[in-house]
Amino acid sequence: MQRREILKLLAGTAAFPLLSNDALAFFQSVHEQIPATADLKTLNPHQDATVTAIAELIIPETDTPGAKAVRVNEFIDLILSDWMEDEDRNKFLAGIADVDARCQKAFGKNFVEGSAAEQMQMLTTLDEELTEFRQAELEAPRRKHKDRPDSEWPFFDSMKRLSLAGYFTSEVGAKQGLHFEIIPSQHSACAPLEQEAK
Amino acid sequence: MSKKTVPPKTYDAIVVGSGITGGWAAKEFSEKGLQVLLLEAGRAIDPAKDYTEHIPVWKKKFRDMGDRKKANAEQPVQQTCGAVDETNAKFFVKDKENPYTTEEGKPFLWIRGRHVGGRSIMWGRQSYRWSDLDFEANQREGIAVDWPIRYQDIAPWYDYVEDFIGVSGQAEGLPQLPDGKFLPPMEMNCAELDVKDAIAKYFPGERKMTIGRSAVLTQPHRGRAACHYCGPCDHGCATKSYFSSLNSTLPAALATGKLTIRPNSVVHSLIFDSTTRKITGVRLIDAETHATVEVHARVVFLCASTLESTRILLNSTTTEFPNGLANSSGQLGHNLMDHVMGGGASGRIPGHEDRIVQGRRPNGIYVPRFRNVNSKHPGFLRGYGFQGGADRDGWDRGTGMAGFGPEFKKILSKPGPWRFGFYGFGECLPNFENYAELDKEVKDAWGIPALRIRCNWRENERALLKDMSITAAEMLSAAGAEEITPFVEDNAPGLTIHEMGTARMGRDPKTSVLDAHNRAHDVKNLFITDGGCMVSSSCVNPSLTYMALTARACNFAAESMKKGEI
Repeated sequence: MQRREILKLLAGTAAFPLLSNDALAFFQSVHEQIPATADLKTLNPHQDATVTAIAELIIPETDTPGAKAVRVNEFIDLILSDWMEDEDRNKFLAGIADVDARCQKAFGKNFVEGSAAEQMQMLTTLDEELTEFRQAELEAPRRKHKDRPDSEWPFFDSMKRLSLAGYFTSEVGAKQGLHFEIIPSQHSACAPLEQEAK
Repeated sequence: MSKKTVPPKTYDAIVVGSGITGGWAAKEFSEKGLQVLLLEAGRAIDPAKDYTEHIPVWKKKFRDMGDRKKANAEQPVQQTCGAVDETNAKFFVKDKENPYTTEEGKPFLWIRGRHVGGRSIMWGRQSYRWSDLDFEANQREGIAVDWPIRYQDIAPWYDYVEDFIGVSGQAEGLPQLPDGKFLPPMEMNCAELDVKDAIAKYFPGERKMTIGRSAVLTQPHRGRAACHYCGPCDHGCATKSYFSSLNSTLPAALATGKLTIRPNSVVHSLIFDSTTRKITGVRLIDAETHATVEVHARVVFLCASTLESTRILLNSTTTEFPNGLANSSGQLGHNLMDHVMGGGASGRIPGHEDRIVQGRRPNGIYVPRFRNVNSKHPGFLRGYGFQGGADRDGWDRGTGMAGFGPEFKKILSKPGPWRFGFYGFGECLPNFENYAELDKEVKDAWGIPALRIRCNWRENERALLKDMSITAAEMLSAAGAEEITPFVEDNAPGLTIHEMGTARMGRDPKTSVLDAHNRAHDVKNLFITDGGCMVSSSCVNPSLTYMALTARACNFAAESMKKGEI
């Protein structure tokens, strides 16, 4: 069945407005008009600035928009406010404070006040520590029943996960980054990889 | 009391439950011209509002991470099922309203849907025929009781239901997995073809890989559209491309004008007449008003799911049946089975970097059972099949990788390597000590006694799980996979959502609840055609067999009614 026929078939159902290309373009334009100053429920302005800066370093703007443009900070605030249990949220907020404390010790200032080089240095350290932690987990004797709970992982693990999720599941990340189609234009089990996705 | 009332309407048939089997019973009876009342404990579903398969991830508040706090509070059991997310959680029950109890250290996960359509809306759609390897197994090994039917008894009914629902698949000519009436098969991708070829080369005559046999249409079929490969079937399907009672059997039944659907009808018990020794009707509680209502019919079909149908009978005690209606055998509630799942292996398939899967195929591959087929395995009885498949890794591989920044973003925006996974589903042996009974204290939101479930895996199931991880790794190794990771998961019974066996069929009324036509030995006008009737569990997905048995039992019941025997 052709995509056009499917769209026709779906006309009249509630799902239809989400499907046509025109409609998608419309939603995208609306999305871009949303004011940037949403009320955050958990992050205070300083924490928000820190999260925004770290997320943008993980997924920076390149030829496609980055974490800041798709408001990964708002997604993280939502997860902290309405998704995480109190213990995990507190741990995450303590993690932000710890990044500042380490920056204070190393550079005499908070993360957001650091130079590009200082921020890069701190993030490199955090990522290396996470890699070491992960490696140790992989080599540890296998746990029965369950993995180590999220709350025992370093702050940067949650920060990185949420930054990636916030970006790649945003409309821009899914469509411009991953070329996601709600209704695939066709089904092919072994299609050639398009140049733009290589 | 003196007020004259209209005599209550007596239906020809009452069907309890509107899921996979209830939908079939409603269709079969109404198409035979009988007046049918279909009782459903949950609410009506409006596909235009309730189906959410085309809502993109960025429109979901929690972006496919689930509404965790709400789920922890309201659906601690239901959320253990991987299919549950924030927009389809409504298709799963609220655990507090629907309690059951288990013993400390012996969890049983009971995943349920209460709404018109039942679990047929969220089911996995895998549709396989059983064979005589399955139907003869108990007798061959002296386990439990013999099935009162063989493949030849059910084969025409497999034809009949496949023809109506539409099953895509590839004929393979394997005796242990009989071919059906298939719509064209779905395609395997490049990595899957590599594994298939390696299995054919290294395990000839023993193992074989085929595309999954799935109740998803690969071409238009009986007024329903072919699949458009959007992916999340368990959120509904506006094009009705996969089988559910809501998409398929119920519309056919409603078209006859003979069917009445009564949602929000929580069945409390059946009404038994000691003189005629027949059921005269059903006592239900209106879920919204909590009023007790009685409805009447000549025949009653319980299709409420294995454990719910059993609960209704256990709660229908009479002087003749102090331990539950139709339970003179003492087997009602016992012999609870579920498939043991979660042994397997995954691995990276090298090559094909310039290829990708376009669209999201709602189906995987299948490796039919090969243990204890042609030769006897020393370590265990029966066997298992593998589901699984390959795809390229997605952006989430980044959570386990070192790095950040422009290059990291660029890498994750492209598909990762091909990865293949085998996931085993094994047969569970029937055991009297795996059972459900009424809990003496706990009641559900409508005051009906809850079940107390005692069920655990035993040595044979554990041996199957372990063997799955070994044979899966062997096949990946044969295919030249790298990073091969065998695994043995520890899933509680129930989670496979193939629970069955608590009102088994059999030849002898002393040792079984139902006869060869799913009729209660003890009560001539009572039938159970959901998973409760199963005598053994096979290792293949059971829903197609439930459908075939339901259609067959309806035919038998209608013939008996015509002859005046019911």
